[in-house]
Amino acid sequence: MRWVDFKDSVKRFWSEYKHQKSGMLGLIFLIILLVLGIAAPYLTSPDMPKQWQTGEAWIVNPKNAPPSWENVFSNQKLADQKVYTIHDMKVAESKNGSYKVYTLTFTYNMDYDIPPKDIVITGLKSNASRPQDNPLISVYVERPAEQGAKVEKFLLLPDTQLPSKGVLHLSYLKEVKTLLFYWLYENGIVKLPMAPPEALPMEIKLMQINQQIQLDSKLYGYFQSMDPMRVLFGALTENGQLRTLDQVINDPKALKGNYKFTIVIKAPENIKVDLSNFEVAMVGRTFGILGTDQYGRPIGVGLLWGIRVAIAIGLAVSISSVVIGILIGVTSAYLGGWADEVIQRITEFFMTLPVLPMLILLSLYFGGRITLKQLVLILVIFGWMGTTKVARSMALQIKEQTYIEAARALGASTGRIVFRHIVPQLLPYAFASIALSVPGAILSEAGLSFLGLTSNNMITWGQMLNVAQQNGATLNGYWWQVIPPGLAIALVGLIFVLIGVSLDTVLNPKLKRA
Amino acid sequence: MGMSFGKYVAYRLVNAIIILFLAVLLMSALFTKLATIQLTSQVDEEVQMWVRGYTQQHHQQPTKEMIESYRESRIKYYRLDQPYWKMMWMYTIDTFFFKWGNSFVKVFGTTDIISQIKTALARTVLLFTTSEIFIILIGLSLGLKSARHPGSLLDRTISILAMIASSLPMWWVGMLMILLFVVYLGWLPITLYSQVEVSGWANILKKMSLPVLTIVLVSFGGWAWTTRNIMIGTMQEDFIMVARAKGVPERRIIYGHALKAAAPPIITMVIFGLIGSLGGAIITEIVFNWPGMGRLYYEALQLNAVRTMMALNYMFAVLTVLSMVLADILYAYLDPRIRIGAAARS
Repeated sequence: MRWVDFKDSVKRFWSEYKHQKSGMLGLIFLIILLVLGIAAPYLTSPDMPKQWQTGEAWIVNPKNAPPSWENVFSNQKLADQKVYTIHDMKVAESKNGSYKVYTLTFTYNMDYDIPPKDIVITGLKSNASRPQDNPLISVYVERPAEQGAKVEKFLLLPDTQLPSKGVLHLSYLKEVKTLLFYWLYENGIVKLPMAPPEALPMEIKLMQINQQIQLDSKLYGYFQSMDPMRVLFGALTENGQLRTLDQVINDPKALKGNYKFTIVIKAPENIKVDLSNFEVAMVGRTFGILGTDQYGRPIGVGLLWGIRVAIAIGLAVSISSVVIGILIGVTSAYLGGWADEVIQRITEFFMTLPVLPMLILLSLYFGGRITLKQLVLILVIFGWMGTTKVARSMALQIKEQTYIEAARALGASTGRIVFRHIVPQLLPYAFASIALSVPGAILSEAGLSFLGLTSNNMITWGQMLNVAQQNGATLNGYWWQVIPPGLAIALVGLIFVLIGVSLDTVLNPKLKRA
Repeated sequence: MGMSFGKYVAYRLVNAIIILFLAVLLMSALFTKLATIQLTSQVDEEVQMWVRGYTQQHHQQPTKEMIESYRESRIKYYRLDQPYWKMMWMYTIDTFFFKWGNSFVKVFGTTDIISQIKTALARTVLLFTTSEIFIILIGLSLGLKSARHPGSLLDRTISILAMIASSLPMWWVGMLMILLFVVYLGWLPITLYSQVEVSGWANILKKMSLPVLTIVLVSFGGWAWTTRNIMIGTMQEDFIMVARAKGVPERRIIYGHALKAAAPPIITMVIFGLIGSLGGAIITEIVFNWPGMGRLYYEALQLNAVRTMMALNYMFAVLTVLSMVLADILYAYLDPRIRIGAAARS
């Protein structure tokens, strides 16, 4: 085929394909998907597949959180995830004896009916090697002014060691709970049997308060059942009157407004502190566009990265299996006789093997968790037979045409006849069946991933559904973990079916049906 | 040259048995590796148990030689002393003749693999064959209807439905069904789907309803579409034109002439569908916690019950081969031209 002819036929094909409405729709969606797939590393971070498994990146995220736009449909607004990095804070450095002191301040606008789940402090790096050298963190809060409340600014976290790469979950710290109780005491909501003397150092005061709480079974019960965040962000008064302890703890009402946080980090002078990754997360009860899974991983990110594997597997498997299928089919038809017979028996044999059990068996043989390359190989091994059958029957017809006989009479070699005369005639069929076999490959991958048989080094939609199933997402009603990945699988399948059917209509006019 | 029907059936059956045997051979080749790994650890475990038992009974450790001789006897017992190809061959023969033996772990309350599969098969038939019958009835009638009016609203709807359904994972639709009907609408109790076994016929029927709905919903479009295509193909044949020209009423043309001619592929589809339903669908059964063949496979996979998996693989292969042979034979019975082709080849 000359270059001009090729250009011409492509042009002709395109002018016809343009009029296929569904085909164009499929093409547009495919281009969008490809752009998203290529952009995935730039939109998130390039080492996402590794991060996805290690989980360090997801410490500050809420687990099983619904998407934040769910708030639009509910009358109670749930706090959204909000992360403060060092760039969002005011930083002041000072010295106190042999200590360096960093004072970080930021303001959190709490505008929700249900406040954040937790406050997580992380990302402090230091070169401290002994525990006593670890930087100490304390946190102060200044709540919005409230009529009837006495103390608005108070200590939330007393000097607490934060080793390098350590994480503080304020909701789970006993000191935070005790300090909140002390603050409720100062406001007159909690009645302690014995007033802790002002002059005592903080540690001793905390110990004393703790003891009193432990001894009083009623107080202890409230202490145990307290959700620190609901109290921290909750109203102390109602119509200017103080609420009771029972109301504050068991029927919390959010106090909306600006909360000023002051974080004081103290470190010995000889210790180097790196604040560049320092983060304070107001852990949301909702998260992002598509929520999170049980490890706190954002579903949206997984969805975006899943495009790559889906398209890669779909195309690699369908192209290889169609090419192999056509070559085997044409060879079979061209050789004829006993060679044809043997090839056809082998093809039928492969068709007889039950596909999913064989895939499971082979993946176990490959060592349990199969890599991307092995997966493609396995899917190709079980994917070429259909094409072979069709290609053979088409080649048998073409073989009988006069021009093939003419070519043979002129002394053309077998390879030349096969590759110059027979294979090009099968190309239209090949293109259409490549597109049409993509969904099957993607579904097979999703199935194997759902069974937990594919490697963890990639992010796939099937694996996301596997995680959701193990999490009991359907029975717990975590729809955001179930619907998006499956919809993505279905969408990619549909895109290729649309393209395939349109290609079929344009390239194989003989098959045009009523 | 033609071939008598009986001869053709015999030819197809022999062919099928050979293919089945080869399939088992291939599966055994893969399975022997897994089985060897498992049996080796089984031997280690048994030796340890024996040493513990001996120590308790005789108040002293057995000597090294004793341990070695016991280990060797276990290795012999599990045929681990045999070369790979011999183990594979024995495995093939055992599997092929249904000598499946016992599994090391209990699934469905028993280690006897034959009774495991019997239990599972009965439940799979209950769910999937029922669904398949619904699919066939709905698919055939809709397919015939849309073939009568190609291009109509019904016809286009079915084409689109078939297209969409072919790219949907059935098990995912199942997950959506549970979300919708169990979690959000609360029409069915959550306990039905959070546990595998359910007792009482009323509960079993209730538990069945959602998977049946799912399977029918995902599959009937494809069925209707294929039926429609076969019918439209037949309607373009000459003898239909002749019938039309003779003034035979359209209804009779479709349900008499065309349907008769289109019967072989449709009957084949029915057979493939019915036999295929015996294998169940592994992932769909997992999603619905349905204790059938697929669930059994999954439990075997989780528990590393290699022999159960092998037996199930064999069952799946038997079902596929069986449906192909039956379809071929029926095809030949309904359309004698087929046999001539086979004779020319053989």
